[in-house]
Amino acid sequence: MTGTTAADFSTGVAATWMRFWFEPADPRPLAVVRILAAALGLALAWSYTGDLQAWFGPQGMIPPGSGAAWRPRHSLSLYDLATTANALWVLFAITIVAFAALLVGCATRLAAVAAAILWASLLNRGPMLAGAADDCLAILLWCLAVGPCGASLSIDRWVADWRGRPRSEPSAWARISLGLLQVHASVIAAAALLAQLKGDVWWDGTAAWWLVARPESRFVDVTAAFRGSEYLLNLVSHAIVAFEAAFAAGLWFAPTKALVARTGLVAWPLLGLLAGEPAWGAALAVFCVPCAAGELRTVCNPRQGG
Amino acid sequence: MKRTPLTSPHPSGFDPCVSEPLRAAITVAIAVYLVGLVLSVAGNSSSGASALVRTIKGRLFSPWLVPAWLDLGFDQRLTHGATDDADHVLEIVPHDGGSEPPLRLPGGLSGARAQRWRRLAQALARPDTPDELVAAVGRAAGDELATHDVMVRVLRHEMHDRSAVDTTPGMERAFAARVRVVDGEVQLLRSEPRGEVAPLLRRPGRPALPEAAP
Repeated sequence: MTGTTAADFSTGVAATWMRFWFEPADPRPLAVVRILAAALGLALAWSYTGDLQAWFGPQGMIPPGSGAAWRPRHSLSLYDLATTANALWVLFAITIVAFAALLVGCATRLAAVAAAILWASLLNRGPMLAGAADDCLAILLWCLAVGPCGASLSIDRWVADWRGRPRSEPSAWARISLGLLQVHASVIAAAALLAQLKGDVWWDGTAAWWLVARPESRFVDVTAAFRGSEYLLNLVSHAIVAFEAAFAAGLWFAPTKALVARTGLVAWPLLGLLAGEPAWGAALAVFCVPCAAGELRTVCNPRQGG
Repeated sequence: MKRTPLTSPHPSGFDPCVSEPLRAAITVAIAVYLVGLVLSVAGNSSSGASALVRTIKGRLFSPWLVPAWLDLGFDQRLTHGATDDADHVLEIVPHDGGSEPPLRLPGGLSGARAQRWRRLAQALARPDTPDELVAAVGRAAGDELATHDVMVRVLRHEMHDRSAVDTTPGMERAFAARVRVVDGEVQLLRSEPRGEVAPLLRRPGRPALPEAAP
């Protein structure tokens, strides 16, 4: 009996694994993620434009070797090869073009791979300048590079329609790509939660105060409200922790998945604004899109969705 | 109609473009990747990692544990209410005072661009920041100010407690170094806070301070 139960369990796990990663999925949610990620990428890349030469130019503040303390020795950057001002501009222009092509879905697979490599290169060139939003975008780009993110809502699709080619079917690669997005959304939320809970301020309910006590980086000033009510401050601090825990776990259960993902579409940007990291909040909201659309099959209820 | 494995156009319910051997290979790749992901999160904690986790992570996964792919840490703590979490500002002034106004960054900038300057300032204030980076910042800023001798300072905004009576905005010095270029050679002189470098001297003839009670 025990042997049969164990065999059933392992068969069930294997079947769930296969369904989660390989059952063909609709590529449309991936296309929405592509458009949002590319728009975010353009915005974040734009923040380099004004200081590109000041940071990475031949006489810049961040010489190629100075990031070694932040970079493992195996990491590579194409930007290390740009040793002249012109070469730097050309490489940066290619990065922008890759993001623009990804946005409109032109030569999408190539654009996704190019954007992922060039964005990673840009971050590796000045790792001390990169923030959480940049890291999240890098993960989004790699996930997009795996799947057919240009199969709809793209110029590629429009050209294929014009030439009379059949519409793309659901594919396993779309499933893998969407699965990776779901895994990373959960892991990023869980890791952030673990990192926060190492600080006392998240336990004593004062963390939200320290988020808004930074005069320069804050986007909204709610210090007066927090001064007025300690309960409100505690409520906001604990709500952030509760949301992150619910998000990390809730993505894996059919009854809660769409709910936490839809909540995430609103809550992550709000948290980003409160923390003075709106791009980080936006990036995490992009991760929520496929699950909020209810397109991903869940581990606990694999028959739902699809 | 909802598609299930039974109603799928393909009998097996899986994409025929992904063959059985390819599925097996992808399964192995994903499994290995997930192990690496867990090790990355465990090994990148600001609390440190165990020797076991460090060794497994370093030996097995180091070639592809690079920023912007896997080894990101993901540990966005938002805040711990510590001084490190405060807004940092980079300030560069000519060492001799000069007539030029100090170069202060991010200054009037805003958004993601300003955040990157703050991160650079924060990086300079780290005790383990390489001298090369500080020197390069000083040299480049010196070019901007048309001088060969500058003070590079990192200032930190004071963060007042919620119950603080005095909430006057203030700044404290987190880092300072003098960078000068002499005959094309960049020289870096770090300024240590006096409290950390001053020797504890007793003036001759004065009695020693009584030892603190245990």
